Amino acid sequence: MHLPEIDKFAHLKSPLHSWDARVKIVSISTLILSIVLLEDIRVAFLGLVLAIILVFLSKIPFSFVLVHLRWVLFFVLALFVVISLTVPGNLLIKLSFFSISREGVRLSLLISLRAISAALLVFPMLGTTRFYLTLKALQKIKIPAPLIQLLMFTYRYIFLFLDEEKRVFIGANSRGWVRKTNLSSLKTIGSLVGMLLVHSFERTERIRDAMVSRGYNGRVKTLDEFTLSAKDFIKASLIIAIALLLNLFRWIR
Amino acid sequence: MIKLNGYEMKKIIRVKNLEYIYPDGTSALKGIDLDILKGESIGLIGPNGAGKSTLLLHLNGILGEGCGLIEILGMKVEEKNLIKIRQKVAIVFQEPDNQLFMPTVFDDVAFGPINTGYSEEKVRKKVKEALKEVGMAGYEKRCSHHLSLGEKKRISLATVLSMQPEILILDEPTSNLDPRVRRHLIELLNNLNLTKIVAGHDLELILEICQRVILLDEGKIVAKGETREVLSNKSLMEYHGLEVPLSLRHR
Ligand SMILES: Nc1ncnc2c1ncn2[C@@H]1O[C@H](COP(=O)(O)OP(=O)(O)O)[C@@H](O)[C@H]1O
Ligand SMILES: [Mg+2]
Repeated sequence: MHLPEIDKFAHLKSPLHSWDARVKIVSISTLILSIVLLEDIRVAFLGLVLAIILVFLSKIPFSFVLVHLRWVLFFVLALFVVISLTVPGNLLIKLSFFSISREGVRLSLLISLRAISAALLVFPMLGTTRFYLTLKALQKIKIPAPLIQLLMFTYRYIFLFLDEEKRVFIGANSRGWVRKTNLSSLKTIGSLVGMLLVHSFERTERIRDAMVSRGYNGRVKTLDEFTLSAKDFIKASLIIAIALLLNLFRWIR
Repeated sequence: MIKLNGYEMKKIIRVKNLEYIYPDGTSALKGIDLDILKGESIGLIGPNGAGKSTLLLHLNGILGEGCGLIEILGMKVEEKNLIKIRQKVAIVFQEPDNQLFMPTVFDDVAFGPINTGYSEEKVRKKVKEALKEVGMAGYEKRCSHHLSLGEKKRISLATVLSMQPEILILDEPTSNLDPRVRRHLIELLNNLNLTKIVAGHDLELILEICQRVILLDEGKIVAKGETREVLSNKSLMEYHGLEVPLSLRHR
C-alpha cells in the first residue's frame, strides 16, 4: 500500500472506523495470523470470504483495494505457476514436458488464499483509522519506539520527498534533459538522486534542530487519544472467536 | 517608542566573545558580544552566510558549547540548564516544514509543552490558547502537509507560543509569504508581548517591529544601533551587501 494513501478512507463511518485502533489492530492481527496458519482449503476459502466481508463492512471501495492489491496478486500468480509446476505428486495435467500435480495445485491455491485474505485484512485494519492514530495505537501496544518514529517521520515527510523529487526532475527536464536508457542518462539520474539524498539529509538536520529546540530528548511523546467502550470489546471478542474457530476445525478433525 | 534606558531594564540575553567553528572547519562566528534587554525587539541583519542562523541556534544551546559565554535570564547555556532555557527561548525556524514534524497540528503544538513536563490538562489548555492566539483555533486534527504556507507559518508560531517562552526568535519569518499573509504575521508579531529577535532580509518588517538592529557580516558584528539609523546608512548597508529599504530612501 502506498503510504500517503493508507488512510484515504479513514474519514468514513463504519463499525470498523468506530472501533478503538488498539483493539482493532490486535484483533485483526490475530485473525490474520490464524488465517495464515490454515491448512484446509475449504476453511481457507471461508477465511477469504470473511476478509471480503470485513472489507465490505469497512466501506473502503473495492476498486481502491484492488488497485493496491495488484502487487500481491501478481506475486500470488507467480507463486501459483511455480508451485504447481514444481511440487511432485499425482498427475493432474500433462502438457508436453510440463506436468501439473494435484498436490501442487492444492498447495498453491492454499497459499494464494492465505496471502490474499491476509492482504485484504490490512485494509479494514489500517485503512479505517487516521494513520497518526494507528501509530499512536502501535505505540500503546508496545511496538518499539524507534520503529514508530521511523514510520511517523516517513509518513510526515514522504509527501515532501515526492514533491522534491518531482522538482529535481522537472528542473533537469527544463534544462533539456530527457530520460533515456543509456549510460549518460543513467549518470544524470544518479546525480539527481544523490542530490535528493543530500537535501533529505540536510533536512533531517534542520528537523532535529527544531525538535531539540522544543525540548526533544530522544522520545517523541504525544497525548493519549483513546477511550475504550464495551462495543470495542464486543467486536474484539467476535473477531478473535472467529480466528479461533477457523483453527478449531483443524484441531477437531 | 524607543526604550533604551539600560539602567532600568533587565539584561535578558548576554553573549560574550562567542566563537563557533562548524565541524567541517567553517568559522561561522568570530567573537560576538551582545546584550539584549527584556522586552526589546532586535533585528538581526546581514548578507547570506553572515552567521545569523548560527548565532540564533546558540541562544538555546542547539549547537553545543562553543567558545565564549552565553547567559539567558541569568542562566548559563550549558547542559544542566538546557531544559529550562529551551522553554524560555523559542525559535521559529525559516521553513515551516521543518518546524512542523509531527503528524497533526495538535501533536506539533503539544510537543514542546509535553517535553516541558506540563500535565495533560495544562498541555491541552496551552495548545488551545496558542492556536487561538495565532488565529488557527479548530485546526488541531489537521495534518501539516495539507496546510497552506501561511497557515503553516502561523502554526509554527503556535508550536513555540504553547511553551510560554520569554524570548521569541524568528529566522527569516516572512520568506515566501504573499503580502497579505505577511501583513497578518507582522500584526501577530506586533501584538506579542515578548522579547523578540528577528533575523532576515525583510528590512521593512524589521523596521516595523524592531527598535534596534545588529548588522552581522562574516561572523562579526559590524554595526549596531537604532533601527532607522542603521538601515538608512547607505554606505554601511551597501558595503555589507544590503540595501537601504525603500521606505527610508530619500527621493
Ligand atoms: N551545518 C553547517 N555545517 C557547516 N557549515 C555551515 C553549516 N551551517 C552554516 N554553515 C556555514 O556557516 C556560515 C554561517 O551560516 P549561517 O549562520 O547559516 O548564515 P546566515 O543565516 O546569516 O545566512 C556560512 O558560511 C555557512 O556556509
Ligand atoms: Mg540563515
